Amino acid sequence: MTLLKHEIKMNLKSILIWAISVGVLCAGCILLFESLEESMKEMTDAYSDMGAFSAALGMDKLSISTMEGFYGTEIALMFALGGAMFAAMTGAAMLSKEEEGHTCEFLATLPLGRGRIFFWKYAAVVLLVLLFNLMTVLLILAGFAGAGEMLDGKTFVLYHGAQLIMQLEVGSICFLISALSKKKQIGACLGFAMVLYIGDLMCRVIPDLEGLKYVTPYYFSNGADIFASGEVQWGMAAAALVVMVLSVVAAAVVYQKKDLAS
Amino acid sequence: MINAIEISGLTKSYGRHRGVKNISLQVSRGDIFGFLGPNGAGKSTTIRSILGLLRFGQGEIKVLAMDSRKQQKEILSRIGYMPSEAMFYPSMKVRDVIRFAADMRKRDCEEEAGRICQALEVDMGKKIGELSLGNRKKVSIVCAMQHKPELLILDEPTSGLDPLMQEAFFKLVLDYNSQGTTCFLSSHVLSEVKRYCKHAAIIREGEIIRTDTVENLSKSNLRRVRVWEKGEERSFSYTGDMKELIRELNETSLSDVLIEEPGLDELFMHYYLPKDDIVS
Repeated sequence: MTLLKHEIKMNLKSILIWAISVGVLCAGCILLFESLEESMKEMTDAYSDMGAFSAALGMDKLSISTMEGFYGTEIALMFALGGAMFAAMTGAAMLSKEEEGHTCEFLATLPLGRGRIFFWKYAAVVLLVLLFNLMTVLLILAGFAGAGEMLDGKTFVLYHGAQLIMQLEVGSICFLISALSKKKQIGACLGFAMVLYIGDLMCRVIPDLEGLKYVTPYYFSNGADIFASGEVQWGMAAAALVVMVLSVVAAAVVYQKKDLAS
Repeated sequence: MINAIEISGLTKSYGRHRGVKNISLQVSRGDIFGFLGPNGAGKSTTIRSILGLLRFGQGEIKVLAMDSRKQQKEILSRIGYMPSEAMFYPSMKVRDVIRFAADMRKRDCEEEAGRICQALEVDMGKKIGELSLGNRKKVSIVCAMQHKPELLILDEPTSGLDPLMQEAFFKLVLDYNSQGTTCFLSSHVLSEVKRYCKHAAIIREGEIIRTDTVENLSKSNLRRVRVWEKGEERSFSYTGDMKELIRELNETSLSDVLIEEPGLDELFMHYYLPKDDIVS
């Protein structure tokens, strides 16, 4: 528990910057919607009829002139990218920062054992992702309160639940990369999060790449799909949880066996 | 008596690179044991294997009669380790690092930490990122000693410390040792090994070449030979049979000869030389 508290303290600045940035951006857009509503109505037909572009961003399913459509397509995009990038960064640094910063000898020679260090480090990734979501969702709700509107509660919870699973999957895979590396692979992990997003766009546009929807967690957590259908594809969400568990198990094996750099 | 550290047949390699080969070593409880060797000889590899930071292929290490692989957590709770680099989290204050180390041990070490900080003049309010190597070393000493460990493992502890702090540090080491703490320290500083250690081992190219009391290590058949021949002086080290040396010298036209025992520093330098450079 001491290590968990330590990690939260060490990441406090980072989580505040990311959560406030993403949360305020989303809340700001919600507050702006009222003033944009009229022009959005004019653009709705054009946006929904742009073929592959509309399909990629989900504007063929939702009307951006409604708050639900605007949230599911525009704001969900910002939230998904911001959340995945934060999860990727957090996971990527958690183990390897000790070796890169040469603090590994200090931490690993305190009487915790590698198993517990690993456990609390992963717990810190999960808790930081949870805190990020809690803070951003509170800011988003404040935005809705300010705008005097609210989305369907169940769909809102389903969307943010799916986003949480997506972020945990990305964070867990990056946590495995962190276990494998002696240096923080922040750039590679941010790139990985972006590639997964591009994978989601491509599988919606190019029929031959449809299979990518089983690879990228952005697919099942896509805001437009969830707000349009009111449900999550739970099979894919379960597959994401399996990938998450496999990543953590692989990371544990690697971390237990590796030589820790000084 | 149970040894504080017992290493048998430790072999660790880094891919194709040599680490240590077939290291065997015993450190008695209550000893202050010096571990000497040139850079890259395998001192840190041995220490890091003892601590469980490195996964070694062959051999066995027992620390305080416990298996280093199976009982690592229990071992770490009873030892104090001071790494040579002494790196901590730059954004933390000294006070917080010391408390973090104590909390991780689930111990209240405030009183002892305060005593050590006073002895070493540690500024608790400073951030780690603002500290010099010497001051980080002091923090490392506090973290290694504040829980009054049974065994102290110190990797080049005095590098970066000024002479006054070195004195204060060894005063602490002797103080803990008098209370039963075993000390295992690696060092390049021969004078401190001679002054403070009871036993020492010398490691060269990944292998232990000598383990003995510091007193016995100082005695050796190594001789510094100085020969004056035709007005020129020649000197060399000799470790072989004396009769053979005298016979060979007799065959030369020397005008004078001086055969003397080397000083401790010279003796250790002899041990430090690569195998191929030793004259016998």
